[in-house]
Amino acid sequence: MSNTATITYDDKSVRHFMNASIFWGIIGMIVGVLAATQLSWWQMNGKFLETITFGLVKSEGLSYITFGRIRPLHTNAVIFAFVGNMVFAGVYYSTQRLCRVRTASDLLSKIHFWGWQLIIVGAAVTLPAGLTRGKEYAELIWPLNIAVVVIWVVFGLNFFLTLARRNERSLYVSLWFYIATIVTIAMLYIVNHLSLPTSLLHSYPIFGGVQDGLVQWWYGHNAVAFFLTTPILGIMYYFIPKAADRPVYSYRLSIIHFWALVFIYIWAGPHHLLNTALPRWLQMLGMLFSVMLWAPSWAGMLNGLLTLRGAWDKLRTDPVIKFFAAAVTFYGMATFEGPLLSIRAVNALSHYTDWTVGHVHSGALGWNGFMAAGMFYWLAPRLWRTKLWSTSLANMHFWVGLVGILLYVASMWVAGIMQGLMLAQTNPDGATLKYEFVETLNSINIYYGIRSFGGFLFLTGFLMCAVNIFMTARKGRAEDETVEVTVLEKASKDRMTLSEALSSDPVVHAVLALAFMILWFLLPPHADKAALVVTILLIAKSVSAFRAGKGTWSDYFNRLLENYLPFTVLIFAAAAVGGLVQIIPSLLVNRAVNVEDRVQVPYTPLELAGRDIYVAEGCYNCHSQMIRTLVPDVLRYGPGEDQGYSRLGESIYDHPYQWGSKRTGPDLAREGGALVKDAKLMRSGKRDNLWHFNHFLDPRQMSSGSNMPAYPWLFENKTALKELPAKIAAQARLGVPWPAMTKDGIEQNARDQAMEIASSLVTAGAFLPDKPDLGPEELRRHLSETQIVALIAYVQKIGVYAPVEKPPVKNPTLDPDAHRSSSTR
Amino acid sequence: MFKRVIYEDWAAIVPIISFIATAAVFLTATIRALCLPKARCQELADLPLEDPTPRR
Repeated sequence: MSNTATITYDDKSVRHFMNASIFWGIIGMIVGVLAATQLSWWQMNGKFLETITFGLVKSEGLSYITFGRIRPLHTNAVIFAFVGNMVFAGVYYSTQRLCRVRTASDLLSKIHFWGWQLIIVGAAVTLPAGLTRGKEYAELIWPLNIAVVVIWVVFGLNFFLTLARRNERSLYVSLWFYIATIVTIAMLYIVNHLSLPTSLLHSYPIFGGVQDGLVQWWYGHNAVAFFLTTPILGIMYYFIPKAADRPVYSYRLSIIHFWALVFIYIWAGPHHLLNTALPRWLQMLGMLFSVMLWAPSWAGMLNGLLTLRGAWDKLRTDPVIKFFAAAVTFYGMATFEGPLLSIRAVNALSHYTDWTVGHVHSGALGWNGFMAAGMFYWLAPRLWRTKLWSTSLANMHFWVGLVGILLYVASMWVAGIMQGLMLAQTNPDGATLKYEFVETLNSINIYYGIRSFGGFLFLTGFLMCAVNIFMTARKGRAEDETVEVTVLEKASKDRMTLSEALSSDPVVHAVLALAFMILWFLLPPHADKAALVVTILLIAKSVSAFRAGKGTWSDYFNRLLENYLPFTVLIFAAAAVGGLVQIIPSLLVNRAVNVEDRVQVPYTPLELAGRDIYVAEGCYNCHSQMIRTLVPDVLRYGPGEDQGYSRLGESIYDHPYQWGSKRTGPDLAREGGALVKDAKLMRSGKRDNLWHFNHFLDPRQMSSGSNMPAYPWLFENKTALKELPAKIAAQARLGVPWPAMTKDGIEQNARDQAMEIASSLVTAGAFLPDKPDLGPEELRRHLSETQIVALIAYVQKIGVYAPVEKPPVKNPTLDPDAHRSSSTR
Repeated sequence: MFKRVIYEDWAAIVPIISFIATAAVFLTATIRALCLPKARCQELADLPLEDPTPRR
């Protein structure tokens, strides 16, 4: 027995999220354009204020808009504010229609919307203020992290309650992608944001060094996967058929696409750490799964594009189809390039260069940006019950945006490949490098300018979009859609219990077969053969059970589609397995106690304070601390006998790790050095203290052609020594071997080191242009309290290690790693 | 890099595990997709296009 009911969809939330997405998108893009121009013209870090105010404002650099601080603002704004709000708009609109029911709770929708916007405002305030966790796309401070988790749970609860109340028996493929997004992002976000707070505004990640790097890129890569890809694919599977007015090209292909993508994506994180100190087996996994990821990604692209078969004529007239077709094409291009860049040999050239920047922007601008625009143009007339205000303006947006993307991506390809090749170029002797780092930077400056212009064009396109949507809303009326639906009785959906789902034949056979297969690889000789035999027997048994079941196995999957909770558990398992295999062994094994070869020398209190300043200023956005296992890297950054490539143990106590992922400036892994003769705490590495002092004051004074911002505020701001005891206590709890020290002892130690450095600076002739009247003693006292001295202390410590005696390797195998570790080098 | 706590022959084993695991998922999903009756497939694909009766 079924009856009908009249329901009104909650389109108000959709309108809110859509407007928020456009608003924050424009803000995020403006910040992006500013950041891009800063790389071409260092004056854009604050000096330009003198020009535009005709000298009223005097500024060598403004801390709040310096590149290291606004680059995270740009990435967070675009990912979480622009795409995030766009995703919520798409999810709320399509889920209601696919479930034939109004969203479960208006209150939860409101909390979700306003909570998310408040988090964005929080990010917009804290990031420019230098409050950061220092991990890419995970920069927000811990109170905001908790807020994100709470709001995400609110969103998930609202979504799953809506599924529970649905009036449609089966879950359409879009809903699968939304489920995958919700559960996987929750897992990734929570693990990568595990921190130990030291104050309301500061915390240290619980993982350090290589562990932190692995967890970070497990999260970072899969933020791309499950925040920027899977929800957009769900949106694609709903909105492209709607726009083309025809069903998806192949529903069968969507099944293969979904499961393969969700299973494979999570394994690919280590491709961000190729050729680094990350253990080889993880690099191998990351590379292999990235290459295999090609297949499901292209399955999605083809399914999206081929849905337009028979509707290609609309491409000439309908801007929505234009945007969708271009977006899916960019998705295909970006997912071709991703696996390519994940090949270790290619990555050796591309990593740390702008090629990666071009790659992510072909995804962000082309795939995310154009999918968003297409969806907005399709939604606006339906949400405001009118026609789009201007089709020609939407078409103009398309062409302006497309040219912008092409200029952006092409310029970054050229810049990245060119710089990568130049950095590896040797002189005719083959043993020395041909170019200084800054020379390679100056060679690509023209492409930075083109990139800025491309980004500006894309921003212009979105301003057109904002005008068009605003005028459409003004012309129409905001009205929620009311429909009559057939009510689905409770008894005809979600009848499968969780235990029934997990104890069914297909699941039990699959889990047992996989378990014994893993045992076959890991058990000692003979026991492994027994495990292999059991695996084969299990596979044979599952084949016979499949045949004997006469359709019960496929019926099981059909029933899963009608039971959202077991289905969600299955999706979570598929997504989680890759992370478990990679992360658990790394957390168990890659610890200081097991380190061979070299182990990091822990910081002093002042060096830790300096490191926190380094993190706060976002130096990791431009400088890596990782010399890869590549000849050009070693020649450039670690040519000495006791230097070489970075070892895993050299950053084992770093919370957060700072290996970086882009080199706008050179690597700093070997910047530090030994204690200065007769000094108690002061060190000196590649360059002396005065060089660093002048470099932070005016980078071009020490390195002609540098595009690094000046940091005048570091010469005024005081180092927060009072915070050190709490920070050191937190680090000690995380396993960093700090010596026992009292609060006073910590502060005194920091003051002693600061005074040593300040004295050396005054002796060497350091001069502060803003304080020309200070005598030597006053200058020494002033400097000893400033952040610049703490930062110099840290820079002079980077990469300092103690050798660890290597145990002999028993039974060396043909694994080159084993040979290297057993050699006497 | 480390004391030999973990397998020394990862380079030889990891590609095999990766391939088998991925192939298994692909195969399972493919079998599942092929087993889906055509009519059911069409019904599911049409879900976004079936608009309920609008009420004005």
